[in-house]
Amino acid sequence: MKLYIGGAYQGQAELARAENPDAELFFDFHERIRRAVLEEGREPGEFARAFCREHPQAVVVADEVGSGVVPIEAEARAYRETVGRALCVVAQSAESVTRCVCGIGVRIK
Amino acid sequence: MILLVTGGSGCGKSTWAEAQISALEGDQRVYLATMLARDGESFRRVARHRAQRRHLGFETLECPVDIASAEIAPGSVVLLEDLVNLVANEMFEDGDVERVIPALEALAGKCRHLVMVTNDVFSDGVRYGDSVDAYLRALAKINRATAQMADCVVEVVYSIPVPLKGALP
Repeated sequence: MKLYIGGAYQGQAELARAENPDAELFFDFHERIRRAVLEEGREPGEFARAFCREHPQAVVVADEVGSGVVPIEAEARAYRETVGRALCVVAQSAESVTRCVCGIGVRIK
Repeated sequence: MILLVTGGSGCGKSTWAEAQISALEGDQRVYLATMLARDGESFRRVARHRAQRRHLGFETLECPVDIASAEIAPGSVVLLEDLVNLVANEMFEDGDVERVIPALEALAGKCRHLVMVTNDVFSDGVRYGDSVDAYLRALAKINRATAQMADCVVEVVYSIPVPLKGALP
């Protein structure tokens, strides 16, 4: 499993596709986490561990969403926390984590 | 050693900071907790953090404002969590934000090891108005001052430590 992250539209999707042309890619994983946790009521760590078990060869692409002022709205806070908790699990089980800024990937794991 | 740990919400910085401090040598371990728990969400957060560090043998001191008032024995190993809440409390709960940097300098001089956790809240590009802007400025100034004091500054990115200053401990 590989993880590509970055701020919105930083080129992580294009980089992931270019570096892994034959892999199964999961784009916008932050949205998948939102649906699983905030709509289907799953626990973020449990959801992420199950995903990693079921897709050990996946290339996961997600936005970093936690680096702003903590929102007043409880649901917006929960979304950022949830994405963080789930992506920590994905990052731990990934063989590599690449962070993309302006289209440039920096491998942090 | 003085270590500053930053990162976004939910990035795993508390867990990483606790793992670092539990690996450091010291007799007296103090957890300086700055969050004012007032609602269900913050009580749950406090409970989660307490459960995380239960096995680490920490004495917990609740210190939402005025860090200088915390009674800490010289030579202690201290985890301060976190600057975001401390600065918010000093600014919005009848405190004094000007005393934060001198208090942290004094604390750093007294501790054997000090690990401080802060938060990257600066990158959403939103204008929130004067009072939040004043808060962001104050926190950023304190982050810069503590980074200057620190031997090592680390950004935690979804559980992965990325060194910004010094080598990873």
